[in-house]
Amino acid sequence: MNRMRTKLAIAAIVLISAVGYLALAGASKGWVYYLDVDSYLADASYQTQRVRLAGRVDEQDLNLAPAKLTASFQLLGPTRKIGITYHGVIPDTFKAGADVVVEGRLDDQGVFQADTLMTKCASKYQAEEHAKRLEQKP
Amino acid sequence: MTALTGDAVLSMALLVAAGTLLAAMLNVRAARWMLWAYTVLILGAGAVLLTALLQSNFKLIYVAQYTERALPTAYKMAAFWAGQQGSLLLWAILLAVMSAVAAVQWRGRSAREQTAALAVLAVTNGFFAALMLFVRDADPFTAYAVGKTPADGFGLNPLLQNPSMIAHPLLLFVGYAGFTVPFAMLAGALAGGERSDAWLVTARKWLLFSWLFLSVGILLGAQWAYVELGWGGYWAWDPVENASLLPWLTATAVLHSIGLQLQRGMFRRWNAALIGTSFILCILATYITRSGAIQSVHAFGDSLVGPVFLGFLLLSIITVVGLLAWRWQLLEPKHTLERLVGKEGAFLAVNVLLVLITIVTMYGTMHPVLAGLFKENPGSYGPEFYNHVVVPLGLLLVALMSVGPLLIIGSEAGKTLLQGMIIPGVLSVIAIGVTVVMGVHNVYALLCVALTVFTFVNVLRGLLKAAIDRMKLHDEGLALALLRALDGDHRRYGGQTVHLGMILIVVGVTGSSLFSDKQELSMKAGDSVQVAGFTVRYDGMEQLRHANFTAFDAAVTLTDAAGNSSVLHPQVRYYDKSEQPNSEVALLTNLKRDIYITLAGWEDNGKLAAIQIIVNPLLLWIWIGSVVLTLGGTLCLLPRLCPQRQADHVKVTLPVGLGSCQTPAMEQTS
Repeated sequence: MNRMRTKLAIAAIVLISAVGYLALAGASKGWVYYLDVDSYLADASYQTQRVRLAGRVDEQDLNLAPAKLTASFQLLGPTRKIGITYHGVIPDTFKAGADVVVEGRLDDQGVFQADTLMTKCASKYQAEEHAKRLEQKP
Repeated sequence: MTALTGDAVLSMALLVAAGTLLAAMLNVRAARWMLWAYTVLILGAGAVLLTALLQSNFKLIYVAQYTERALPTAYKMAAFWAGQQGSLLLWAILLAVMSAVAAVQWRGRSAREQTAALAVLAVTNGFFAALMLFVRDADPFTAYAVGKTPADGFGLNPLLQNPSMIAHPLLLFVGYAGFTVPFAMLAGALAGGERSDAWLVTARKWLLFSWLFLSVGILLGAQWAYVELGWGGYWAWDPVENASLLPWLTATAVLHSIGLQLQRGMFRRWNAALIGTSFILCILATYITRSGAIQSVHAFGDSLVGPVFLGFLLLSIITVVGLLAWRWQLLEPKHTLERLVGKEGAFLAVNVLLVLITIVTMYGTMHPVLAGLFKENPGSYGPEFYNHVVVPLGLLLVALMSVGPLLIIGSEAGKTLLQGMIIPGVLSVIAIGVTVVMGVHNVYALLCVALTVFTFVNVLRGLLKAAIDRMKLHDEGLALALLRALDGDHRRYGGQTVHLGMILIVVGVTGSSLFSDKQELSMKAGDSVQVAGFTVRYDGMEQLRHANFTAFDAAVTLTDAAGNSSVLHPQVRYYDKSEQPNSEVALLTNLKRDIYITLAGWEDNGKLAAIQIIVNPLLLWIWIGSVVLTLGGTLCLLPRLCPQRQADHVKVTLPVGLGSCQTPAMEQTS
C-alpha cells in the first residue's frame, strides 16, 4: 500500500511538472497583449512586439481593396488613433464605425501591419443595430 | 396577447417549480406529479413561442428580432434558439423533459434519496423559469409597446442560416441540460446515505446519453464554423468553444472510471467529484456563452443574465462541495488501486490526463476575466498556448487509447499488455517506414500514423478473437459470430468504436493542421494558377436572386492532373434584412483533401476577383470519425438485440433505464 502511494506520488510529480513546463512554454508562445490604441501608443515597449489592438474603424481615410486583399484605415482609441494596413481576406462585417480587433506589429514607417482582422461578434452588433433601427421608427 | 399568455404560462411554471421544491420535503409522490405538471407548462410556453415564430407574430420582440416573413420555415423554427431568450427557454424545456423522465425512473428509490434528487431538479428548473420571468433581457415573451409592432421582422443572422446551425445548439443543450440528471441522482444518493452503487447504473446511461449529445453538438459546431465562417478552420480555441469542451472532458473521464466503480467499488470519490464538476461546468458553459464576460465570436453580449447566472454557478459549486464534504466517508472506496500497470492504472491515467486538460483549458479561457480584475490590459492566450499544452497531453491519451483493448485487471496485466503489443507494434513500425518512404517526415504525422495503425489492429484483433472463440464454442459462422460478439458486450465494443472515431478525428486534425496550405490570389477572369496539383481557373461572376438574398456567384474551375474538372461556386450573399454581406464557401472534398474556396472581394463587376484557396489534407476524416464516434456512442446505449443464451447470467431487476442492458458489471453491484 505504501509502495503504491510512493509510486503514485512519483507519477503525479512527474506528470504535473511536465504539464507545468508545457504550460509555461506554451504561455510564452501563445501570449499576446490585448490593448486599446491609447495604451499601445503610450508605452514604447509594446511597439516592438506582436500585439492585438482593439478599436473602432475611423470613418475617414478608409481604403478598401477587397479584390487586392488589402485594407488600410485609422483605428480609433479613446483619444488617439493609429494607421493600420491589413493584408488578407476582409471580413464581411468590416466597415467604417465597426469595432474590430487587429493583430500584428508596427513597421519602420510607424504603420501597424496587421495580418489578422476580426470584427466583433455579429449577434451583439446586430442587437445594437436593431436598437438603433427601433429608435428611428415612428 | 401572445406575450401575456407566454408570461402567464411561465409564471405558473415557476409557481409549480417552487411547489415541487416544497413538496419534495413533504411528499415525494406529490413532488413527482408537480414536476410533471411543470414539464407540461414549460412545454406549453415553448409551444407559444414556436407558434409565434411560425406565424410571424411580430408583436413579440424576439420573433421580430430573429425572423422575417420570407425566412424558410425550417429557419423560422431554428430561430427558437437563435437568440439568448429562446435558447434559455430551450434549455428549460430540455431540462424539464429529462427531469420528468428521471422522476419516473426514481420511483422505487428511498424517500430521502428522492427528496434530494427532486429538490436539485426543482431548483435548477425553477432557476431557468425565474430567470426568464424576472430578468428583462431573458424573457422571450417581451412585446413591443402598442402601435410599435414592425411590419416585418429583422431577419435571422445570415451566419445562422445553415443546416448545422439548426441542430448544433439543440444537441449541445441536450448535453448541457442532461448532466443535471446524474448530478441530481448523485445528490440523492449522497443525501440519502446510499451505500450501494446501484444508482450508478442508471446514472451512467444518463451520462453516456448526455455525453453523446454534447459530442455531436460540439462536432456539428465545428462543422458549422468550417463551412460558414470562411477562415478554413473548425476549432479556434475560442472561449465559447472551450466552454463546451470543459464538461465534455470531465464527462469523458467519469465514463471511463465509472465502470471500475460498478465492478470493484473503486474511484468512488473521483466519480462523485467528476459528476458534480460536469454539472458545474455545464452551468459555467452557459454562463460564458450568455454573459459576454469573455470576448468571443459567439457570445451574446452584455446583459443582466450574466450576474444572475454567476450567482447560480456559485450556488452549484457550494452545493457540490458541501455534499462531497458531508458524505466523504460514505464515498470510501471498496478497493484501492493495486497496480499501476493494467486497466486500473490506465483508467486512472486517462482521468488524470483529462482533468489536466480541463484545468489547462479552463485556465486559458478564464484568465482574461480573472486577470482583468487586477490589471487593465490582461491580454489573452492564442491557439498556440492550447496547442502547446493540450496536444502533447492529447497524444498521451491517444497512446492509452491505442492499447485499450489489451488492458485487463490483475497480476497478469503487464504480461498480457507486452505480448499483445508485439503484432500491432510491428505493423506500426512498418506503417511508419512506408510513410517515410512516401515522403512524410514530420514527427507528429508519423506518430499519428503509428498510433492509428496500432489502435485499429488492436480493436479489430480483439473483436475477431471474440468472434473466433464464439465460432468454436457455439458452432456459428464468422458473420453471425461477429454480430453476436458485438451484441454480447455493447459497452466494450461501443466504447472501442468511439475510440476508432476519435482516432479518425485525430487523423483529420493532424493532416489538416500540419499540412494545410492557404493562398490568397487576385485573379482576372480567365486566369489560371496551380494549387496542390490542381489547375484553378477563375471564370467570372454572375448575380443570382434567391428568396431572401441576392448572391454574387463566382465560377471557379478546378482541373486535376488526370483532366477531370469540376466547377465550384463560392458566393457573397447580400441578405435583404442584413446590412453586411455574407460569404458562402465552396468545397471540393474527398478522402485525400478538401479544397476550400472563398470569394474575398471583386472589382469591375467581377472582371477582377480576390479568391482565397485553402487546401486541407485529410479533413474529411474528421467528419467520418464524428459519424463513427456517434455510432459507437449509440451502440453503448442500445439494449441487447439478441436474447441472452447463457443460463448462468443471474437476472437482476434494474431500475427502468434508457435501455436495460445486463452485463456482469451490473450484477456485481446488486
